[in-house]
Amino acid sequence: MTGYESVPGVVETRVSFDEATLVVDPTRLVDACAHLRGELGFNMLVDIAAADYLGWGEQEVAGYIGTAGGRDLNQAGSHGLARGPEPKPKRFSVSYHLLRVGDEPARVRVQVWLDDDEPVASVIEVWPAADWFEREAFDLMGIRFEGHQNLVRILMPEDWEGHPLRKDYPLGGEPVRFSDED
Amino acid sequence: MSVLPSTRIYEGTRIPSPVPTILEVDPEKHRLEDILRVNFGPNHPSTHGVLRLVVDLDGETVAGIRAVIGYLHTGFEKNMESKSWWKSVTYAPRIDYVSFQANELVYVMAIEKLLGHEIPRRAVWARMALAELTRIHSHLVWLGTSALELGAISLFWYCFDDRDQILDLFEMVGGTRMHTRYFQVGGLAEDIPPGFTNEARRFCESMPKSVDEYEAILDRNAIWLERTKGVGLLSADDALALGQTGPMLRASGVDWDLRRNTPYLAYDEVDFDVPVYPNGDVYDRYKVHMDEMRQSVRIVRQCLDRLDETEGEPWIVDDRKVVLPPRHELHTSMESLIHHFKIVTEGFRVPEGEVYVAIESPRGEAGCYLVSDGSARPWRVKFRAPSFAALQATATIVQDVLIADLIAAAGSLDPVMGDADR
Amino acid sequence: MSDRPLAQAGLQSERVLWPDRGPGVFEQEVANIEDALLTTTIQKAIAWAQSHSVWPDTFGLACCAIEMMSIVSSRYDIARFGMERFSSSPRQADLLIVSGRVTHKMAPPLRQVYDQMLEPKWVIAMGACASSGGMFNNYTILQGVDKIVPVDIHVPGCPPRPEALMEGIVRLHEKIRAGVPPAYQIRGVAQ
Repeated sequence: MTGYESVPGVVETRVSFDEATLVVDPTRLVDACAHLRGELGFNMLVDIAAADYLGWGEQEVAGYIGTAGGRDLNQAGSHGLARGPEPKPKRFSVSYHLLRVGDEPARVRVQVWLDDDEPVASVIEVWPAADWFEREAFDLMGIRFEGHQNLVRILMPEDWEGHPLRKDYPLGGEPVRFSDED
Repeated sequence: MSVLPSTRIYEGTRIPSPVPTILEVDPEKHRLEDILRVNFGPNHPSTHGVLRLVVDLDGETVAGIRAVIGYLHTGFEKNMESKSWWKSVTYAPRIDYVSFQANELVYVMAIEKLLGHEIPRRAVWARMALAELTRIHSHLVWLGTSALELGAISLFWYCFDDRDQILDLFEMVGGTRMHTRYFQVGGLAEDIPPGFTNEARRFCESMPKSVDEYEAILDRNAIWLERTKGVGLLSADDALALGQTGPMLRASGVDWDLRRNTPYLAYDEVDFDVPVYPNGDVYDRYKVHMDEMRQSVRIVRQCLDRLDETEGEPWIVDDRKVVLPPRHELHTSMESLIHHFKIVTEGFRVPEGEVYVAIESPRGEAGCYLVSDGSARPWRVKFRAPSFAALQATATIVQDVLIADLIAAAGSLDPVMGDADR
Repeated sequence: MSDRPLAQAGLQSERVLWPDRGPGVFEQEVANIEDALLTTTIQKAIAWAQSHSVWPDTFGLACCAIEMMSIVSSRYDIARFGMERFSSSPRQADLLIVSGRVTHKMAPPLRQVYDQMLEPKWVIAMGACASSGGMFNNYTILQGVDKIVPVDIHVPGCPPRPEALMEGIVRLHEKIRAGVPPAYQIRGVAQ
């Protein structure tokens, strides 16, 4: 997808499944977002999604992949040999989904990659909608956004310890007891 | 007509700063000794679920407000990561439990985008019909409960009676009134039963008359107008800055509807209008909801005609790697047996990738960000909840309103706490 | 009619209709309570009056709350039991219908509302999530509301149909009329 060459700080541009993803250097995130909003007209921040890639690729994929085209026998990895997914650069990714509300609708995803304990600048000055989305990413994933004046827990109780959606946080719950056991 | 309006509801911005979701008491307008901090909820008569509002009151005027959520955080996203793709669809309708099929639809569409399947036409029309019936259902619940809070108590019973008719239709297709889990990856779980289109047509005959009745009760009612006109103002620029979508945005004058601007399913093949109102107050949001109910009936009628035309066609994709083969084949075909076994035990695998799919749910843009690592389980599912975004606008729309208007404004945001807290 | 004591108290429960089924937990409890049966006419009259106007508290949390609202609607009319007056103030409520999933953040308000109710008070755990945590066995959902409040009736379902909730309510009325004490007198919270 063209048109994003002027955005500052872009490290990589990916297009997959008809969606454009701009991978941006975390230190230049606010510049990139301000440019996208000001020059390219992305006036709405739809979502901020954080993802944890700890353990990515350790469970190996063997056998066939369920795609619409079926199984390509000539493609390496589709005979039952293990083929893992593409490795990710760092542990966390934060994806900002942007939308241009106007006469030419468009969507783009801005993505930054972070290590554990690496903070990123808050885009609350660019779109006030980022307020609660960043709080949720902090609460559930532990990503710190610098410049956010109220970065406290939002979904979990205030005295909760740990960040539940991380991959090293257990699902929790209790073992199920059955009535014929004691 | 351009999407963005040219007139402004108010000048400048009313979004509080530095934190957009906390309205602090302004010491110049209110004496700090007069402020009384009142806690609304999480258990309160307003039927929006467990929303807690911490309100600073100066007499009857709202001087400061802060919304506290999280009392219904269920950990959907983490639960769905531990289940196979098929089983995780069961979790999706319980997120926004008033428009349950909208969540199923967006999740299933996201999986299908990763798989790259094209859904059969019959399933597309059925999905559209059920999605629009879900929209009518959600607006009826909203109208019934909002009117109940503002004093029009009898509307609760009228709306819920119509709602029971819609739930009968859902029971006909899905077997249960709510949380039908009827949308399956690849199409529908089962074919539309015979007689559904006739029942649904009968409902479409009676629904516009019901909407006329509701409008006759409320549209020019002096109390309703007093309580909703000019209350809860939100300008178009503030709405876009706060990430509002759906009726909140359309009542502020922005002509934006995902069904028409970025069509999905087959919305570009049906005729419908998108109601847009310019004033950005609670009354306009009410008008948007009423007009949307009428337009949804129009869409449902067209989908029912198409469903009758596609009678006998497949309702689910034919890819045996993803969809269970028909049971009668298991007795004769070895491959079908193996496919059935693999799909039921391990589950189908979805190719590696990440997608974001958004639909127009009754509350606004409901989206699903899905990351797959190529295995039989989701890696990361994130639902973009329209109620979560709508509640961020609470501090902006209740500036200097009376406490009774706070109820009207908070109700017009249409929050569903399961959606906001996930 | 079988010769079980509950049948003599006027119960229409289906366990009475199927006498070849063994006694369930409900009947065991009743059989174990010496003074469960109302002996005096005054007690029977009080129980009759109590059971005919149990006022529920508006404790709708999630999807089950929508089905609880539809039991108020005109098709599954709850006003025929005298229960249409949902009171938001727990001080004026008799019955707490916990409808929906209870998170650890919501558990203290739930217990606070239960404590504010005046005796006699009953609790119906509506739905799978309130009864046992439902499909959410995870870090945030309380696995059954009977861990913090004593529960009289569990209604299964996800969400239970309005008819199922009504069955639970009818059984509660039968319990009250038969003289079974409310749950806080006969059992504590689950472990």
